[in-house]
Amino acid sequence: MYSYKTGIPQIDQATGGFDAGTNLLILAPSLSFAEQLAYSLTRPLPGEYAIMLSTNERASEVIDQFKSGGADKHFVGVIDAITKSSTPAVSDTERFMFVTNPTDLTGIGIKFSHMIEAIFDGTFSGEETGLFPPPVRFCINSVSTLLMYRKLEVLYQFLHVMTAKLKKIEGLGVYILNNEAFDEKTISLIKQLMTIVIEVKMEQSDNYFRVMGIRDVNPDWHKFTIVKGQVVLSL
Amino acid sequence: MISTGMFGIDDMLGGGIPEGSRVLYSLEPGVDGQLFMISTLLGVLEKGQSCLVIIPHTTVDAFLHDINQLRGKTVRPKETRLVFLDSVDRERIQRSTAGREAAEREWEARIHKLCTDNKVEVIFGYFDMIYEDFGLDKGLSLLSKASCPAGSTIIIELLNFERDRFLESLATRKSFDLIVAIKSSFRPLPHFNYFTILYTSWSTNLRRSVPFLVKNGHIVPYIPKIVVTGPPESGKSRFVANATELGMSIDRTGVSGAMTTVAMDFGWLHWQDFDITLYGTPGQPRFDPMLPVILNNSMGVVLLMDATNHEQLARARYLYKIITRMHVPIIIAANKKDLPGVMSDEEIRKGIGVGKTIPVYLISAHKKEDVRAVLESLVDSITQFIY
Repeated sequence: MYSYKTGIPQIDQATGGFDAGTNLLILAPSLSFAEQLAYSLTRPLPGEYAIMLSTNERASEVIDQFKSGGADKHFVGVIDAITKSSTPAVSDTERFMFVTNPTDLTGIGIKFSHMIEAIFDGTFSGEETGLFPPPVRFCINSVSTLLMYRKLEVLYQFLHVMTAKLKKIEGLGVYILNNEAFDEKTISLIKQLMTIVIEVKMEQSDNYFRVMGIRDVNPDWHKFTIVKGQVVLSL
Repeated sequence: MISTGMFGIDDMLGGGIPEGSRVLYSLEPGVDGQLFMISTLLGVLEKGQSCLVIIPHTTVDAFLHDINQLRGKTVRPKETRLVFLDSVDRERIQRSTAGREAAEREWEARIHKLCTDNKVEVIFGYFDMIYEDFGLDKGLSLLSKASCPAGSTIIIELLNFERDRFLESLATRKSFDLIVAIKSSFRPLPHFNYFTILYTSWSTNLRRSVPFLVKNGHIVPYIPKIVVTGPPESGKSRFVANATELGMSIDRTGVSGAMTTVAMDFGWLHWQDFDITLYGTPGQPRFDPMLPVILNNSMGVVLLMDATNHEQLARARYLYKIITRMHVPIIIAANKKDLPGVMSDEEIRKGIGVGKTIPVYLISAHKKEDVRAVLESLVDSITQFIY
């Protein structure tokens, strides 16, 4: 089974990377490095693909973020839930797809399926990576925004479907949720769908994370920063 | 009758959707099924009928652009009898009303006014947000025959997270006259889409599941793989050649002097609005390692044998055991019925070990009508198969 390297030595050395089919929740407060951490975990390594569902940034900004982390943009797809509301005539391409707003879960699901099909068919980037099933990292940035547009029950069902699909295609799912903006019930419901939870906290402008759900990884807090899209741990 | 705008589906429904019906297109999350609603909408507009489209999840401009992108067709509301309630209206209603009941009354009033002012005949409703805002019963009552103009047809699309049990409860309650469930599966093919006509109020025998492709903005029912297998010299290559419009076979001269298939037969046909691809296996046991490869992802299998040759029964029996593991519809076709010494249906069933549920056809693979009868029966079984 394929293993998704995280770029975080503590995790990669202990586990060899995340197992295919892992769904990972990043629980973090506002203004922390959660988004950068998600980009780092979603960045496709050679032979992999990435898909970002963006409810906060336009497709071009998402691609810039990936490029700044050293990713090849030809292996990155974006489902943009921002641009179409202001530019209704924006057209889908193989790697950039648009829905009017984050309420459109039908559209999001279909665009995701289209991208996955294109990846499986080898038409996504114009070249196949040679691995089958092709490794796909998928990120929802963010679950918090989706929760502002749709009810928790509906979103839970939607995430249930998405996490199951990620398992089926042996992908890696990364989901960002602001743990300050929602109550315990919401957070624990979303956690139920996940395999691993990474909690992020800020103390005196420093960012810390801890990993829960992996047996061989120490659940202590680690101070970290992000440099050029890579997670760097401070000793 | 109102056309669904989709070839083949109107035929399955007995000509289309009876006017005044309430229809549900239920989409499983992620399935490429938007074109069901859009095809029906375009079909209705082409007939010049007046439509109200309720799109609380998007704006009119974005919706029209989506249609253009999906179908390559520009729809101009001013040139058609088309009016909308969109996400902007939803926001206005939310802002201007206090509470759910007031919002519900406002929706009802707006739907009624638009229908009356524009003599609306068909209402298209994207139901997700209405369901979320008002719940199932209240939401459905907004788009019910009681709330909409008398005789109007109501067509609803729903992103269904609640699976078939939910749809069955809607059918039991007779909430709809037609329920079409659009789903996807990873078996027998990855990213395999199909629709099931789950319920119609006008017929009890319509339940059918049909795989489909989206091709140039149209829904095309298709069967990606039917396999024809059987003992050597049973007539498989002839069957495939006669069944298809474009057929070819990779053969060489065998020890008996007759041509024998050494790789496979392949053919394609468009028939009864289906795109169908046929694969024929070689019959010689030395090619058996190829069988699982050719049978993989097949949706139906024809087991062909020579009805005059008792010696083929053992080989046919062996092949039957292999194909039953595929859990797909199977048909036995006993070829060479026009030659002397043809076995009876009973002899064939006993010899191969098949029960009464598997159809056995006596055919001549030289006769196109015989071959097509076998295919018709298999397609029928495939469309009634529960994936």
